[in-house]
Amino acid sequence: MIITMEGKYASDPEWASIQPIPLNDGSETGAMPLATIAYSDEYIEGTSYLRAVMAANEMSERALKLTEDIISMNPAHYTVWIYRARIIFALEKDLLEELNWLNGVSLKYLKNYQIWHHRQVIMSSRDHFPTIPPKEMDFLMEMFAQDSKNYHVWTYRHWLVRHFELWDSPREIADINSLLNSDVRNNSAWNHRYMLRFGPRSDQPDGGLVNANGPPSEKGRLAVVDEDLVDEELEYAQMKIVTAPENRSPWSYARGVLRAASRPLSEWTDFARKFVVDNRDEDGKLVNVEVKSSHAVEWLADVYAQSGPDEAVRMLNLLKEKYDPIRKNYWAYRIGQILNGEVPATA
Amino acid sequence: MPEAQFTKERHIRYFLRCLKTFLPDLYTSNDSNRMLLAFFSLAGLDLLDVLESKTTPEERQGYIEWIYHCQVRSGGFRGFSGTDFGDEIRTRDNEAWDPANVPSTFFALVILLILGDDLSRVKRVECLKWLPKMQRPDGSFGEVLGPGDNVEGGGDLRFCCFGAGTRYLLRGRSGAGLDGVEDIDVDKLVTFIESCQAYDGGMAEGPFCEAHSGHTYCAIGALTFLDRLSSGSEKVQLISPGSEKYESLVRWLVSRQTTELGEEDDSEDDSDDGTSEANIAQDLAEAVAGLSIDESIVKLLAIPPPSENSLHWAGFNGRCNKYADTCYSFWNTATLEMLGKLPLVDAAGNRQYLLEKTQHLVGGFGKGVGEPPDLLHSYFGMVSLAFQGEQGLNRIDPALCATHRTVQRLHALPWWRGTE
Repeated sequence: MIITMEGKYASDPEWASIQPIPLNDGSETGAMPLATIAYSDEYIEGTSYLRAVMAANEMSERALKLTEDIISMNPAHYTVWIYRARIIFALEKDLLEELNWLNGVSLKYLKNYQIWHHRQVIMSSRDHFPTIPPKEMDFLMEMFAQDSKNYHVWTYRHWLVRHFELWDSPREIADINSLLNSDVRNNSAWNHRYMLRFGPRSDQPDGGLVNANGPPSEKGRLAVVDEDLVDEELEYAQMKIVTAPENRSPWSYARGVLRAASRPLSEWTDFARKFVVDNRDEDGKLVNVEVKSSHAVEWLADVYAQSGPDEAVRMLNLLKEKYDPIRKNYWAYRIGQILNGEVPATA
Repeated sequence: MPEAQFTKERHIRYFLRCLKTFLPDLYTSNDSNRMLLAFFSLAGLDLLDVLESKTTPEERQGYIEWIYHCQVRSGGFRGFSGTDFGDEIRTRDNEAWDPANVPSTFFALVILLILGDDLSRVKRVECLKWLPKMQRPDGSFGEVLGPGDNVEGGGDLRFCCFGAGTRYLLRGRSGAGLDGVEDIDVDKLVTFIESCQAYDGGMAEGPFCEAHSGHTYCAIGALTFLDRLSSGSEKVQLISPGSEKYESLVRWLVSRQTTELGEEDDSEDDSDDGTSEANIAQDLAEAVAGLSIDESIVKLLAIPPPSENSLHWAGFNGRCNKYADTCYSFWNTATLEMLGKLPLVDAAGNRQYLLEKTQHLVGGFGKGVGEPPDLLHSYFGMVSLAFQGEQGLNRIDPALCATHRTVQRLHALPWWRGTE
């Protein structure tokens, strides 16, 4: 590819010492390039200079500026971020300034993954950040104001909690409560709540599984259970369920809480039963069933699968025939498991 | 309503256009993913069964040359030619800026098979020696080797999947010709994957993160690749029917099918969550304020069963309480296909969602209702339909994400089968 070097780098004396390396897409050796993109002239020129400074391992201010330029055009470039981090540390740049710059980039490219990984690399420096910088969580809430379920931001926040040991920080649970109050269906916030309450408390080398060294059946269950905490969280889930009974998130959360505490689903039989009202006539004959939450029906099916197969099948049929017909094949599969006497899953 | 139509000829034109003309400037932010885009273009035409009739042998040979052009001297493939500063300049000191990339290596190999190449120019031993260097002490994989041979990139399941996939492609059933080439640590990889199962049964990017269909596909893809090369009879629990882990995963996967499509009349803003439901929740929260939990439940109305109309279009979301999106039709159905449970979904609803809501007039599929087509959603939309037996599409292997013919080509390679 022939590049006419008339761009901003070619005409800049600061870059005169650099011989740009043009893109070699293999055409000279008989290759037919795939997924060719109609690049802008700026991108073609910028990346030619990037290859040149990278080949020279240059750690300089001008290279740093160049990475910023490339990132503005292609934020998913996987080596430019690593190179930028290297320069930042080599030149002993102000890391808070880097975070500030990242804030702007993050708000511009909401769905980018490399940005958040870079933020983690910068924040990992214990020398610079022995504790979390005061504005960090404010910025994350700003991100959540744009998209309260942004996966990259939640994953990063999760990492912050583990890195700075923030499980019991009042700010964490306050932010989660506030996000759940504004949208009780925010499953990301429910998940973060679970991690705060029941996640591992120290930086375990296994990748963070609770009780990882226990026998296989105990993995993921808490070795020591704070029963008061468990009760509080179960009540919290109930309070949120009554505001949106068809919201699956708190029902799943409660399953997770009970499981972590090695307590049975049947603890919630009475609660779930209140959402499934059998109306009977004077002779006690069932007239109809009033359902206030399909998730309660599912919960009861799981409980009865352990104790009373007929009632479990009745619940599963309610879902299959009436309340959740999209999943009728799945409910039929569950009914089949029960009729065949297979031990059903309860998690 | 007339039956939904798969507009095959238009899709052929869309994929040919993507293959043979420049992608618009908009794709610059995906420059580093050119290998992936190349995969979608060629795999799409192969899925439509026209790769060999709509491209010439010379073109296919030229494409093969480009893939090999992206091979890194020390083993593995780059994600795009843009990091290559030339063999004469490349040294031990600067090669970290032009590294082999884990997902791109997998896709490069699959593309070569799709194009009918016999992988004879692949630096097989070098690549397999590089692979264990990409694994971290916790068992997960990174994306590239950075300066000082540091494993760079997030420690997430995508890299685990394509690490395991590359091992499957190059190690082969017998490991023939690989004496002294160290394997990855399979047990540690399995342990890491298992630790990513969230409390609701789905798989997350890492332990205790939120369950997500894309990562779930990658987790089960990785385990499937490992299982295919495993000589032992004992399966990992996550892929063993009847185990609690497996059944809770299946429950989570089928729960992803949804009639909430995020159409414009569903909500007033363009965020992709169920805001209409959120408003109902807000109203309810005000109604029950001050009441006990029991009193609140008494006040709740019975829910109406869904109407027949509302069930007509049923796509898939990627996380609990999100709207449907074309690519999640793929991530979820592909995972269920690997688990042998695809019949549990509402295939008609998924088909109608894809064909009537995200299939585009000019060919290809968009991400959501009324969105313009792009390569990723176009390929994944078609693959999900292919799993359900759509006429005009070839059969697909869910782990390799390519046609059965591609898998057969791999399995016929002498060193792969172990007859050499």
